[in-house]
Amino acid sequence: MKGIYYVLLLYAFLMLPPVASLMESVMIIHMHMQMTLFVIIGFLLAPVLQKKFPRFFEEWNPNGIPGILLFVIVIFYWTLPRSMDEALNFWYIELFKFISLPFLAGVPLRDSWRKISPSLKNGLIILFTLLFILMGWLYIWSPNQLCNNYLMIDQITLGWGFLLTAVCMIIYLAYSYITDFAKTV
Amino acid sequence: MEAIKKEYWKDKANKALGISPEDARITKSYLIVAFAAILVGGLLGLLQGMNRAGILELPVWLNYYKVLTAHGLLLVVVLSAFFTIGYFYAGLSHSLGGLLPKVRKMAWIGFWMKIFGFVLAVIPILQGDASVMYTFYPPMAAAPMFYIGLVFIVLGVWMLAFGAFINVANWRKNHKGQHIPISFFAMGVFVLLFFGSLPVAIEVLYIIPWAFGWIETINVMVSRTLFWAFGHTLVNIWYMTAISAWYVFVPKIIDGRRWSDLLTRIVVIALVIMNITGGFHHQIIDPGISESVKYMHVFMSLAIGFPSLMTAYAMFAVFEKTARKKGGRGLVGWYKKLPWGDVRFLAPFIAMAAFIPAGAGGIVQSTNQLNQVAHNTMWVVGHFHLTLGMTVVMTFFGVSYWLVPYVSGRVLTKEINKLGVIQTIVWTIGMVLMSGAMHWVGLLGSPRRTSYSTYFDNATALSWDPYLFFLAIGGTLLMIGVLLQVYAVFHMMFLAPKGETEFPVADVEEDATPTPMWTERWGLWIVLMIGLVSMAYVIPLVDFIVNAPPGSPPFKTW
Ligand code: HEM
Ligand SMILES: [Cu+2]
Repeated sequence: MKGIYYVLLLYAFLMLPPVASLMESVMIIHMHMQMTLFVIIGFLLAPVLQKKFPRFFEEWNPNGIPGILLFVIVIFYWTLPRSMDEALNFWYIELFKFISLPFLAGVPLRDSWRKISPSLKNGLIILFTLLFILMGWLYIWSPNQLCNNYLMIDQITLGWGFLLTAVCMIIYLAYSYITDFAKTV
Repeated sequence: MEAIKKEYWKDKANKALGISPEDARITKSYLIVAFAAILVGGLLGLLQGMNRAGILELPVWLNYYKVLTAHGLLLVVVLSAFFTIGYFYAGLSHSLGGLLPKVRKMAWIGFWMKIFGFVLAVIPILQGDASVMYTFYPPMAAAPMFYIGLVFIVLGVWMLAFGAFINVANWRKNHKGQHIPISFFAMGVFVLLFFGSLPVAIEVLYIIPWAFGWIETINVMVSRTLFWAFGHTLVNIWYMTAISAWYVFVPKIIDGRRWSDLLTRIVVIALVIMNITGGFHHQIIDPGISESVKYMHVFMSLAIGFPSLMTAYAMFAVFEKTARKKGGRGLVGWYKKLPWGDVRFLAPFIAMAAFIPAGAGGIVQSTNQLNQVAHNTMWVVGHFHLTLGMTVVMTFFGVSYWLVPYVSGRVLTKEINKLGVIQTIVWTIGMVLMSGAMHWVGLLGSPRRTSYSTYFDNATALSWDPYLFFLAIGGTLLMIGVLLQVYAVFHMMFLAPKGETEFPVADVEEDATPTPMWTERWGLWIVLMIGLVSMAYVIPLVDFIVNAPPGSPPFKTW
C-alpha cells in the first residue's frame, strides 16, 4: 500500500492551480485527460477505502448496481458543456469536480466492476460508445459555440476526440467478441 | 488430440533437422536483398561524404540530391524492412514449427510486391524526377511513379505482417498456455509495422493525385505529420528488432540465461503502445503546433526512453551474472570473462554501448531549446548514424553470423569469425569518426542535406572543412566495412562448409516466475495504442485541417 502516497501526490499535483489551469486551457485536455486522470485516481484509491470501510461498501453496493449507476450519472454530468463552463467560472464547482470524479466515479467503478456480470460490463461499454458518438456528433457539428470559455476549434477537436474514443471502444468490443480471450490462451 | 500430437512431432523435427528448405529460401532471399541494399547504399553514402568534404564533385547526372534520396531509401526502407522480415520469419519458422503453407505464399507475394514497388520508385530516382530525399514531404514533389512504388512497398509489408499474425494465432490455438520469446517480439514489430505505415499510406494516397496534378494544392502540415508518425515508428521498429536479438539470442551466445520474460514483455508492450506519438519530436520546429502541445509531446518522447533504460539495465545484468558464473570477479573485473573474440557477441555488444551516447543525444534533441540548435544540422545526421548505423546495423551484422549459416545449412568458420571481428572494429572506428565529426560540425552550423558549398568563401563555412574531412575518412572506413561484411555474408551463404548451425534461443533462469497470460492480450494493447495516438494527434490535426492555410502546389527543386 506504499503506492498510495504516489497516488495522493498525483492527486495533489493535478489540483495545483498552475497545473489545473494549464490542463483546463485546452478543452479536450480538460475533459479527456484531466477528468480521466481524476477518475483513475479514484480507481487507484479504492482498495484503501474498501479496506477501511468494508461494511459501507457491502451495505450500499452489494451487487455493484448502485455503484455503476452513480458512476454513470457523475460521468454523464461532466460530459455536458455547461458543467465544464461552470467548473471554470465558479470555484466551488471546480472543487466539486476535484472531489466528485475520484470519489463518486472512480471509487464506485472499482468497487462495482468485479461485482457485475460480464454482459453488464459490455452493456456499459456499449452505452458509453453510444454516448460518445452522440457527444462527438454534438461537438463537431453544432453550429454554435457550446461553452463560453472555449472556441469553436476547441469544440470540434473535442468532438473528434469523442468519436475516436468511441472507435477504440468498438474495436475493443469486436476484439473481445471475436477472440474470447479465455479460450485462445 | 491427434492434431496436437502431430504438432509436437513437427516441433521436434524442426528443432532436430533445422529450418525447412522452403522457409530457409524465404529468409535467404530477404537477407540477400538487405545486404545488396547495404552494398549499394554504402557506396552512395561514401560518394555523399566525399562530396560534403569537397573532395569529389558529383557529375550532373548523379547529383548529390539524387544520391542522398537513394542512400536514405536503400538503407532506411529496403535494408530495414528486408532484414527485419527475414530475421523474424526465420524466428517464427524455428519456434512455431515451420511456417504455414499459406503464410509462406504470403511471404513471397509480399516479397515481390516490395521488389516491384522498389523498382517503380527507383526508376524516377535514377531519372532525377524524385530527388525528394527519404522523407519525401510536400511541397517537394516527385514523379507519381515514385509514390505508386511506395504504395506497393507498404502493401508488401502489410502482407508480411498479416502472415505473421496468422501464423502466431494458429500456433497459439494449438499450444495453449505456452510462450515463445521471439514470436512475442515479432508480434510487437509487425503490429507497429502495420499501424505505423497506416499514416504514410494515407499520406501517399493524398500525394498521388497532387503529383499527377489532379488536385492543385496539398496541406503541407498534415502531410508532414502523417509522415513522421510513420518515420519515427519505422526507426523504432528497427530498434525493437535489435533489442529482440539482445534479449533472446545474445545471452545464449555467452552461455547465459535470458532476462525475466515478464519484464521483457513489458518493454515490448510499452514500446508498442507509446511509439507512434514520438513522431512529434521531429516537428519541434514546425509551425502550426502550439507550444503547450509541443510541451506535452516532450513527455511522450521521453516516456519512450523508459523502456530503453530498462533494456540497458537488463542487458548489463545478464552480462554480469553470466560472467560471474564463469568465475569473473571484482566490481568491473568480470568483463574479462565475456567472449570478446566471438563476433556474434562483440558486434551486438558494441552496438549496445553505442546506444548510450546515441540515446543521450536523442534526449538532448527532444528538448525544445536544444532542438533549435541541432535541427536540420549535421548533428542530426550524426545522431541517426549512431543509432541506426551503429546500434541497429551492428546488431544485424552480429546476427548475420549465425542467421545466415542457419538458413544456408552451413557453419561459421574461424576465418570468417576473425573477419567479422575485424569488420566490427573497422565499422566502429569508421562510425565513431564519421558520426563524431557530423555531431561536431552540426553544432558549428553545417546544414544537413546540402550539397558542398563554401557560401562564397564565408569564413564560418570554411571552418567546417576539417570536420567534413574526418567525415570522409570515416565514410571510407565504413565502405571497407561494408565490403568485408557483404563478403562475409556471401561466404556464409554460398561457400562455407556445410554443417549445422544452431538457432540460439536462450533459456530463462531456472527459478524464473512463469509469464502471466495477460501479456498476450494484443487486442488490448492495440486499443490502448490507438487511444494514445488519437489523444496525441487529434489536437494538431484538427487544427491543421480546420484552420488550414491555402495549400501548396508541387515544387521540383532538383
Ligand atoms: C557506408 C556507410 C555510410 C556512409 C558513408 C554514410 C554517409 C552518409 C552521408 C554523408 C549522409 C548525408 C548527410 C547530409 O549531407 O545531410 C548520409 C545520410 C543518411 N544516411 Fe548514411 N551513411 C552510411 C550508412 C548509413 C546507414 C547504415 C544508414 C541507416 C541505417 C544510413 C542512413 C542515412 C539516412 C537516413 C540519411 C539521411 C537521408 C536524408 O536526409 O534524406 N546511412 N549518410
Ligand atoms: Cu523519432
